[in-house]
Amino acid sequence: MIDFKKYNLDNGLRILIHEDCSTPLVAMNIIYDVGSRDEDPEMTGMAHLFEHLMFGGSQNIPDFDTPLQMAGADNNAFTNNDITNYYLTIPANNLQIGFWLESDRMLGLSFSEEVLEIQKKIVIEEYKQRYLNQPYGDIMLLLRPLVYKVHPYLWAAIGKDISHIEKVTMTDVKDFFFSHYAPNNAILSVAGNIKNHEDVISLAKKWFGPISRREIAVRKLAMEPVQKEERITEVEKDVPSDVLVKAWHICRRTEKDFYTMDLLTDILAGGESGRLYSSLVRDKKLFSDINAYLAGELDPGLLIINGKLMDGISFQAAEEAVKEVIEDLKKIAVPDPEIEKVKNKFESSMVFSNTNVLNKAMNLCFYELLGDANEVNQEVELYNRVNPEMVMIAAKKYLQPDNCSSLHYKSKKSVK
Amino acid sequence: MNLKRKVQPEIRPVVLKSIPDTELFRLKNGVPLYLIEAGSEELMRAEFIFNAGQIKENFPLVASTTNAMLLEGSLNYTAKEINNAFDFYGAFIHQFAQKDSSGITVFCLNKHLEKILELCCEILFRPIFPEDELNNLQKKRLQSYLMNKQKVQNLASDKLFESVFGYSHPYGKQVLAADFKNVTTDKLVNFHTAHYTNGELSIIVSGRIHNETKAMFEHYFGEHDFKSGIPDKIDIPINGSKNKKEFIEKKDALQAAIRIGSATINKRHHDYPGLLILDTILGGYFGSRLMKNIREEKGYTYGINSSVMSLNQSGYKVIATEVGKKHAGETLDEIYKEIRLLQTRPVELREMDVVRSYMAGEMLRMFDGPFALAESFRAVWEFGLDNKYYYNLADKIKTIQPDEIIGLAKTYYNIDDLYEIIAGSA
Repeated sequence: MIDFKKYNLDNGLRILIHEDCSTPLVAMNIIYDVGSRDEDPEMTGMAHLFEHLMFGGSQNIPDFDTPLQMAGADNNAFTNNDITNYYLTIPANNLQIGFWLESDRMLGLSFSEEVLEIQKKIVIEEYKQRYLNQPYGDIMLLLRPLVYKVHPYLWAAIGKDISHIEKVTMTDVKDFFFSHYAPNNAILSVAGNIKNHEDVISLAKKWFGPISRREIAVRKLAMEPVQKEERITEVEKDVPSDVLVKAWHICRRTEKDFYTMDLLTDILAGGESGRLYSSLVRDKKLFSDINAYLAGELDPGLLIINGKLMDGISFQAAEEAVKEVIEDLKKIAVPDPEIEKVKNKFESSMVFSNTNVLNKAMNLCFYELLGDANEVNQEVELYNRVNPEMVMIAAKKYLQPDNCSSLHYKSKKSVK
Repeated sequence: MNLKRKVQPEIRPVVLKSIPDTELFRLKNGVPLYLIEAGSEELMRAEFIFNAGQIKENFPLVASTTNAMLLEGSLNYTAKEINNAFDFYGAFIHQFAQKDSSGITVFCLNKHLEKILELCCEILFRPIFPEDELNNLQKKRLQSYLMNKQKVQNLASDKLFESVFGYSHPYGKQVLAADFKNVTTDKLVNFHTAHYTNGELSIIVSGRIHNETKAMFEHYFGEHDFKSGIPDKIDIPINGSKNKKEFIEKKDALQAAIRIGSATINKRHHDYPGLLILDTILGGYFGSRLMKNIREEKGYTYGINSSVMSLNQSGYKVIATEVGKKHAGETLDEIYKEIRLLQTRPVELREMDVVRSYMAGEMLRMFDGPFALAESFRAVWEFGLDNKYYYNLADKIKTIQPDEIIGLAKTYYNIDDLYEIIAGSA
């Protein structure tokens, strides 16, 4: 249970405050409602590049990081397809430093050409390090355009291509900032050693209050048409073993089915006792490892299975074995103890996540973005409502071959 | 509006108050149970540490395989039953086999603690190492080994350990693909008997501790006949390689992995806190000299860092980065330039202030919450040290002077002692 207070500033900034005095620290989290889905298809990777620029100095403060280090703080950020999220933890007595810095970069950036050129180079090295220079690092880069044909989820947050990042200009940067970064497009949470909520609200009014609302670019995303045929693509790379990746379109994050699909995924792969591991790794020895997860998008998202084949196992055999596990979910109701198991696991992950004020701050912002921060406290109940029949119905609804895309990622050595 | 945004609000000093004490309770058989009461949630982290690291193995992979096999079948339960039970009670289990020690860490809700302890006792003391599971496990581990050998960062790190500690030292020994099939059930049973059953166990518990907590541990872990204590000292001489520079070819790699490092002192040495501060200035945080120079000024890399690590018989330091391949040469020059600067020019007061404050903040994070507290306790306990080490470090962060840093840089960053490993395409 996360107790919190909500406060709205006149400029549209929403603020969530949670007190936890078991720590000397305060976590501050800001979500901007902008991700790679909001990018121009010819300039992908912009939201993530922009995240880097947010550390390159703001309108009145040339250096973002040094004052935080001086205050004993730690900070970072991430960008995904839906959101850009900035966070820091700071000793409670220096909280104002966080407000000072975060509000100034919401007000405006330094927009330095030099910073832009350097950060472009760094992001290109990041692209190579994380996606191109790792075995299997490009799986999601290959899978997305196979699964999505029109929705911007068809590219990853790092971008479609290095050339998109190379050609970004300062004009593009400014346009992006003023159409997405604004108090009325952000949510702030503050969690931790807060003796008095009023102090936090005063700080918020003082530092964020004077920032004017901005006109936010209207989100007009192309909706992905229903997939009507199974898609399979094959690549051959210099990797040690074959990998099978399968993805099915599922519902939006805010639909009720999401909870059912999340538990269904845990039944398939929640720990080593999950069905995929138990049957295909342990019993049949077809895979050396196999996992399933929801990609976690806000718009209709994906259930993804990713398995590494044992040497000498064909893609056909692997596909059939996965299919059998999936078909079982449609034919036989999941036994009660198995449902109880995945619910227990969910409950304990929630408790563990709540030991940390930064997690709590992030969760509050994220649920507020979904519609209502209160729902963070209703999650356990929503999961508890899922029953075996719902799992069976959801499996039949979403886990259809026509709704599935598969990537056969072949090892060069196994192709003779 | 008279808000002065250009003026930095006052920064208050970051002060580490007292570190919560750890209670030592000895089980009937002498096994030390360390208890750290912390946090507001009804949960527990329990770490079972055996003096059973790679340093104790006579054949490659035996320590790590013994540890990995703990969940693969016991006297009373099959592998499936074990995994199912941990999952059913919503517990998370982390197995570890490190250079000096091995064991497991479990995280669970207090309401399931008793069940989880029974399972831990079962897997730690009654594993049966089934042949079939072993074969399967080794195939899986070989696959992931082969995958890791395709990453430039692993090729470079592995080679660095071999160069620094020498091929024949347990810290430097390299695993070969052929080693996987040589691990037999017999070797595992022998290792388990010597280093788990008759070994030295210590338990570190943190979270919400209740009256019955000790009794539960007593019941499951106080009956067996154990030795106890911290890892003993075995002195195996360290003979580093004569070749200070190595290049490992990885065809078509887009980036080169660079590792520069050498053996050094560990936490038991009085210079260690100073060395940590020096290392932080060089490459230990986002504002470090290497990050500023190689990433933020030149854009050659996504990240570069340096770190100092303690092992029971030694320590090592390493500077690590992956850079675009055409920038490898220049990156090396800049790294050595930064080291020389630290040896010759006093760190300016402004930079000293930043590092002092940053490290003081890190120290707060090291004792924040039940998980961080347990990790920090273990990090000194395994060297026979206690919280005095941390108070001493906090004091050193406050008081160290620039000339002391120059002295440490000369003593511990002698460029002629450093190994330089590059993995990438020629």
